[in-house]
Amino acid sequence: MPKLTIDGIEVEVEKGTTLLEAIRFLGIHVPTLCHNDGLTPLGACRLCIVEIGKPPRSKIVTSCTYPAEDGLYVRANSEKVIKLRKLIIELMMATVPSSKTIQDLASKFGVTQCRFEPEHEECIHCGLCVRMCEEQMMAGAIGFAQRGKDMVITTPFDKTSDICRQCGACMYICPCCELRCQGPNAETTVCNGCLNLEPPCLDTYDDKMCFLDPCAACELAGPFRSDMKKKDEA
Amino acid sequence: MKPKRTHILVCTGTGCVSAGAFDIMEALKTEIKKHELQDEIAVVPTGCNGFCENGPLVLFEPEGIFYRRLKVQDIPFLVEEHCLKGRPVPSLMYTPPKEKSPIPAMKDIEFFKHQKLVVLRNRGRIDPERIEDYIAFDGYMGLAKALEMSPEEIIEEVKVSGLRGRGGAGFPTGTKWQVCRDQPSTPKYLVCNADEGDPGAFMDRSVLEADPHAIIEGMIIGARAIGAEQGFIYVRTEYPLAVQRIKKAIQQAEENGLLGEGILGSDLKFTLSVVQGAGAFVCGEESALMQSIMGKVGRPKQRPPFPAQKGLWGKPTNINNVETWANIPQIILNGGEWLAGLGTENSKGTKIFSLVGKVNNTGLVEVPMGIKIREIVYGIGGGILGGRKFKAVQTGGPSGGCLPESMLDMPIDYESLKSVGSMMGSGGLIVMDDKTCMVDVARYFTDFLAHESCGKCFTCRKGLERMLEILTNICDGKGKEGDVELLEELAIMVKEASMCALGQTAGNPVLSTIRYFRDEYDAHIRERRCPAGFCKALITYSILEDKCVGCGACARACPVDAISGEKKQVHKIDADKCIKCGACAEVCKFDAIDKS
Amino acid sequence: MAKLKIQDLKRIRDESRRTVLLREGTAKAKVTVHMGTCGIAAGAREIMDQILRLVEKHNLQDVMVTSSGCAGMCSHEPMMTVEYRYTAPVKYIDLNEEKVAKIFEKHILNGEPVPEYALGVGSESMY
Repeated sequence: MPKLTIDGIEVEVEKGTTLLEAIRFLGIHVPTLCHNDGLTPLGACRLCIVEIGKPPRSKIVTSCTYPAEDGLYVRANSEKVIKLRKLIIELMMATVPSSKTIQDLASKFGVTQCRFEPEHEECIHCGLCVRMCEEQMMAGAIGFAQRGKDMVITTPFDKTSDICRQCGACMYICPCCELRCQGPNAETTVCNGCLNLEPPCLDTYDDKMCFLDPCAACELAGPFRSDMKKKDEA
Repeated sequence: MKPKRTHILVCTGTGCVSAGAFDIMEALKTEIKKHELQDEIAVVPTGCNGFCENGPLVLFEPEGIFYRRLKVQDIPFLVEEHCLKGRPVPSLMYTPPKEKSPIPAMKDIEFFKHQKLVVLRNRGRIDPERIEDYIAFDGYMGLAKALEMSPEEIIEEVKVSGLRGRGGAGFPTGTKWQVCRDQPSTPKYLVCNADEGDPGAFMDRSVLEADPHAIIEGMIIGARAIGAEQGFIYVRTEYPLAVQRIKKAIQQAEENGLLGEGILGSDLKFTLSVVQGAGAFVCGEESALMQSIMGKVGRPKQRPPFPAQKGLWGKPTNINNVETWANIPQIILNGGEWLAGLGTENSKGTKIFSLVGKVNNTGLVEVPMGIKIREIVYGIGGGILGGRKFKAVQTGGPSGGCLPESMLDMPIDYESLKSVGSMMGSGGLIVMDDKTCMVDVARYFTDFLAHESCGKCFTCRKGLERMLEILTNICDGKGKEGDVELLEELAIMVKEASMCALGQTAGNPVLSTIRYFRDEYDAHIRERRCPAGFCKALITYSILEDKCVGCGACARACPVDAISGEKKQVHKIDADKCIKCGACAEVCKFDAIDKS
Repeated sequence: MAKLKIQDLKRIRDESRRTVLLREGTAKAKVTVHMGTCGIAAGAREIMDQILRLVEKHNLQDVMVTSSGCAGMCSHEPMMTVEYRYTAPVKYIDLNEEKVAKIFEKHILNGEPVPEYALGVGSESMY
């Protein structure tokens, strides 16, 4: 049974557990987009990244695909991780600004700006639909085609598929095309509809110190509030 | 067999073949027959000599006289003079830039003088399609010795040699073998990674073309050490000659009982087959490569589990680069200590680099680890083309970093290169002169990587796409304040948060150019100026009144008639018509065309 | 081809060595037959053939035979230069079959020059 340390807490998990499962077992929040408990992990969206090992020899991995190994030292919410996550969400928001799932993530993680031209695409290439179709619907009618920036999800040779039963599972699971953001500024990519906060404890401890989600407690308590404002203005 | 008095070694690497080496070889044979010298002179095709820029190359042994840039019409004269009358032909020899007299002997040419051949020892010396030639130079003797050693002894010898993976990451080969050997699961597989996709790099192709048996021998030794019975050589289809030669070599080895069951009369069993890849850059990444061998989409997989634990078909697999495998026979034959005597403390042996870009002598060079970049660029490379100023050298392929002049005296080894934001990679060296715009270089490589990324990781796919967008904007004169910081942030994200080696190094070109050439970015963004005069959107051509003599050469060269002026009067460029092709600047003999 | 054993491998190596040794540039003796127009007219071709035959007959693996141009002393053709390892090259003039046989026996095989047929010691430069 591998024994590992996650955010300072020692935990023993069963062999074959992924890091994400171990982290969630402890009640620590790590955001995911391409993860679904019923599907094989893909590691495409990179939101569930955590830092393993001790700095400066640490590295970033996706917790959904990384096995919980014996002796691993894991930080689920280090400063580096949170900074990277925010940039990833910012990029996602610029790609599919109309997705409510992504706008919610942005609010939750305090992404208040989008420095990229909005693309208004319809797909984030998380691969949920592909796996859903293959693993749960046993159809395998769609898949990834091309590579790099030309990658698309489509049926073989872009032709109407014979195997597709039009069950709609792909649309059901899609984070982009199902829920549309109705926020006040959806067109300008940041809707600002929900709470926008940044955990102020990060500056001091390099780790998010509480696990309330979203982290609003200390914000409302006051002591950091004025600092936060200054930082935002700067 | 009657001994021949002269062997004419014709380089038939891909470079020389495309320059017409096979025609030269036919012409040589015809001429020799005409003079009835066929019993005295042998014409032998060999692998790449590395001096590709000067191809087609021909070497006359035993005199060691080296002819270059031959044309079919030169051959009758050459054969008559050299073979019949015994007079070497200076006009066909190599003359170094800035010098007048040619250098007749290959061994005296700067390009070859500083090299240390270990992996490429047989280049230009043996006929790669004849197994006897390979055996003549102690070929398969390493295997013979390995068969008398225990697997543990072989691995120990590799460990002693300090050999590290030549594919780029530099993982100690002996340790890798040990891990794979220690796995209880069977069968085990060996893979040779010959999927070389870097633009401008051809070290693996050259080894495959010049000395295919060295790779086969290395893999058989590896099979004995690790306990594998089957191996694959993954080579891209874009290398037809390499595929043909390695296939022929495998066939010869099978016919001679060097592959199959009971190798060299022992109980060792090993089979080898060639798998051809379709030329995706990402398939050079080991986990993607294995997916491709198994017939799936070439897309990297999460490690752990490592290939040594769960590789091909979930079985332990040891995967090494072409160059690594080709080192093995000599390590076993000469002992690990011998290789450990070459190179630096942490990087042993030699490394093949493909030296390309703005240097006089481009080609393939094998040098000991720890050699200074300056020695390669100025010694072997013969300095910058046209005597221009050195600006940067990019090491390690498209995802390596660009190093400035101040790094020229840095020794080349895995650690030093990493510490300055670049990498060894598979060994590309691209030299750039002062006419090269570093922002454009970063844009070019980011464009390459954005196309070649597998697309699975959001960070790598979107991050690179956005970086390319920003870089293109900067080159087009549409950059804005904060772009450089954003680029840096994105590049770090791509590096940190992507899964495989492609993504984890993809930020290097951008990060290193920002680190060492930040002033060029600033000039593009703040002053709307390209210091190298390369980015078309940022330059305007005009004619300097005091220098123009009114010869009209520029007006004749201009493809869009944007230049006007009377004879012997100062000419003018119409900025609205000008397409900034630079044709006028090329023809002007008076430096009267100003580019700013 | 038969399956190889280790001893076969060594045999093939030694046999092939002979063919490829030329490419190494290291040999015990180097014989240069001067084959300019004058040399050929005076019979250098026959001298060359004779040397190659002798090399074959004695199964020599470390003798290099090469040709060169006119040495400028056309009246003394056919000529050849014999260079034995670590010693200065010796030029022989007015050769015939008998002389070549003797030079081969003494100088090429055993490293003893034959002064009576020699012009002198030394070699002209390549060009």
